[in-house]
Amino acid sequence: MISVRHLSKTYHNPDGSSLQVLKDVNCEIGKGEIISIIGPSGTGKSTFLRALNLLDRPTSGEIIIDGENILRKGYPAHLLRQKMGMVFQSFNLFPHMTVLENISLAPVKLLGMSKADADAQSLELLRTVGLAGKADVYPDSLSGGQKQRVAIARCLAMRPEVILFDEPTSALDPSMTGEVLSVIRQLAQQGMTMLIVTHEMKFARDVSTRIFFMNEGVIWEDGSPEQIFLHPQRSATKAFVQQINKLVFDIAGAEDFDFYGMYSQMKAFCVKYDVAAKADAVVQIAEKMCRDVLEGHYPLTVRLSHAGINDETTLDFMLEGYSSSPLAGVPSGSAALAAVKGLSREIVEELTTRGFRIKIIV
Amino acid sequence: MRKILLTALAALAISCAGDKTPTKEIRSEDDIAGLRIATLTGSCYDMELSGRDDITLVRFNTETDIINSVAIGAVDACVYDEVVFNADVRKQLGVKIAFHGKDEYPAGFGFRKEDIELRAECDAMLEEMKADGSLDSLCTVWLSDEGVDPSTLTPPLNNGTGEPLRITTGCSIAPISFMVGDTWYGLECELMYRLGQRLNRPVEFKYYDAASYMFSLFGGMSDILTGCLFITPEREETTAFSLPYYYYKPAYFVKDPDAVSAKAGIWTGIKESFRRSLIVEQRWKYITGGLWETLKITLLSILLGSILGCGICACARSRKRGLKKFAHIYNVIVTGIPMLVLLLIMFYVVLVNTGLGATAIAIVAFSIYFAAASGEVFSNSLASVPHAQTEASLALGFTKAQAFFTVVLPQAVRYGLPFYKRQCIELLKATSIVGYLAIQDLTRAGDIIRSRTFDALLPLLIVTVIYFLLAWLIGLALNLAAGKNRSL
Repeated sequence: MISVRHLSKTYHNPDGSSLQVLKDVNCEIGKGEIISIIGPSGTGKSTFLRALNLLDRPTSGEIIIDGENILRKGYPAHLLRQKMGMVFQSFNLFPHMTVLENISLAPVKLLGMSKADADAQSLELLRTVGLAGKADVYPDSLSGGQKQRVAIARCLAMRPEVILFDEPTSALDPSMTGEVLSVIRQLAQQGMTMLIVTHEMKFARDVSTRIFFMNEGVIWEDGSPEQIFLHPQRSATKAFVQQINKLVFDIAGAEDFDFYGMYSQMKAFCVKYDVAAKADAVVQIAEKMCRDVLEGHYPLTVRLSHAGINDETTLDFMLEGYSSSPLAGVPSGSAALAAVKGLSREIVEELTTRGFRIKIIV
Repeated sequence: MRKILLTALAALAISCAGDKTPTKEIRSEDDIAGLRIATLTGSCYDMELSGRDDITLVRFNTETDIINSVAIGAVDACVYDEVVFNADVRKQLGVKIAFHGKDEYPAGFGFRKEDIELRAECDAMLEEMKADGSLDSLCTVWLSDEGVDPSTLTPPLNNGTGEPLRITTGCSIAPISFMVGDTWYGLECELMYRLGQRLNRPVEFKYYDAASYMFSLFGGMSDILTGCLFITPEREETTAFSLPYYYYKPAYFVKDPDAVSAKAGIWTGIKESFRRSLIVEQRWKYITGGLWETLKITLLSILLGSILGCGICACARSRKRGLKKFAHIYNVIVTGIPMLVLLLIMFYVVLVNTGLGATAIAIVAFSIYFAAASGEVFSNSLASVPHAQTEASLALGFTKAQAFFTVVLPQAVRYGLPFYKRQCIELLKATSIVGYLAIQDLTRAGDIIRSRTFDALLPLLIVTVIYFLLAWLIGLALNLAAGKNRSL
């Protein structure tokens, strides 16, 4: 249905600098597919979506829809867009019209539908998004979630073949994302072809038939939800889907290293990734390990990481060049080691190519 | 409008100044030392008294204001041609002649130096009239202290068939030259009508303000200057004068303490004032005529200016740098020039030989001004609508034009309407300066009535109320127009 070849987009800033947002995007999208596009910010997800309906004209490449290259000169973009709806992050309802008028406007003006038919259809659509009671109010009086549901209804009123969702829940209060995602789920069940740029990983995993992981202006990895979320092939994909964040300290020697600074950074990290409850345990483990258990073992690399997907917080201690566990030399009655064991869920000792690693799961 | 307000304020301030009758009797020019003396801006008396350090000279722009300032006690005395404030006027306002000035001033008609033939004809006529005594009798009739009863006036003979003889008059005051209905009467006018008959040319009068008076002759808008024009050596350097037709004598007017106050009650006073300002000589026709001129200029300028404003707005929002720059420069220049200057430049320089009438030129000037004002309102209004609204419409499948007209424009109108309304009302008020081009608009209508009745306030108040009503109606009309727009 849609095939994209070597698509690129470069923005030229007024100051003469330029930014290549899309580098070389290639993909095939079939009818009925529900594709979630995920990836770090600034990697061209939204630009890719906006290129598909020509709101942002690509710099080069091809987009072929039903056999026609839509990037050719003189292609009637407005006709394409009538069949390819778009839902925006910021809803963009028309504030000077009632909810009903927002939805009826395009079918009346563009499809030649009678006002009565369009209104009947609009009411029906409002019912399906659960807002039949709001037909005659102005968008200003709606909550964010309600606005987005109206925007979806407005988009559906044109009976599109494809809908592009550009971060439909990013501007919403967390308490309101649910209502919007349910509406999109409902559409998915009806077999609508959809491309969804989203940061809602669980939703993407549940609803999609396919996932595009975009990174650095290309589709970095393309696969089924299971493939991308459970068995990512590339490390960037893995770090992203597991939502791994890390903090690394290299300790060359005990004399010159700012341990207190390290502790406070670790605390801040825990607070930032919503595991403040573990902050004390993390700092205590780090302190006992560095000042006691591993005393004298330098250079030492400490890495604190957190995986959002399973909420796992890990402290790694890497001793470069070691081939055996330094723990072996610790007296069995060490109070510090006992304390570390008491604070951790699991301790894994493993030999790697770089050296010996002690992995402590908090 | 500003002029009206200023005059009204001046009148108010004058009335607040209180009722200080000089204790000393004024009998000669020596007695006026230390006093406040009113006179007409730029008149011979103004120039002469300017040399005296021992008096406070108060300059007014109209004869009405000079004599009224004496009547209400804002100044101690005023000096002006004695024939203008005749017995009737003096009685009406409760002033009297304190003494007559020593000098006499020859008054004549002004010509361009190169119009030798026309001036010779005029001189020949005056010579003949002097010789047969008709000039003297004419002066006696018009300039008697009893004044001229308007009901006895007979329409002048003015049926020449040649080129019109265009006369600029600088004064609109009985008995020199004044209007009754659409016709000019008075001593000078009668002389001009006779000259017209002599040359078989129909005579046309236009009243110009001090600012444009001289220029109307040199700019070719008229052929002869009249209006109590005193012949002075300084003026003779630029202008050729006819023989003097009369020697005017100045008089000093003071408040008459013995005047029987005509205060028969406030209500009767107001009624009488209304009668004099509107009913007598059908003077309400000046108001309706002025209203029509003001409306014509305002509405056409709003229309044309808004169309031009759309162009300016399109330039300002264009991606092309040159057009953007053009819109910017246009706005800077037009908003930087005082409206009066813009109007006079259009009239005397830019559109001088285009054959356009004064009203058309005023419409052009105000359209230029309104294009800048409305263009700015338009582009600000459009900028107030987020680009996301356009994107949302495009994404639904609208073309750019459809998106603009169905989604962006209605929102811009809602935002910009109050500002646009404000600009329209500003324009309406600004048109009150078209009197400088001898257009009889609403403001000038009030001035003409004032010059006939010597009533300081009422005509101004009537005109002010009409301006208020007009402003309100324009606002209402725009609200209605935009109201339709809201529901699409």
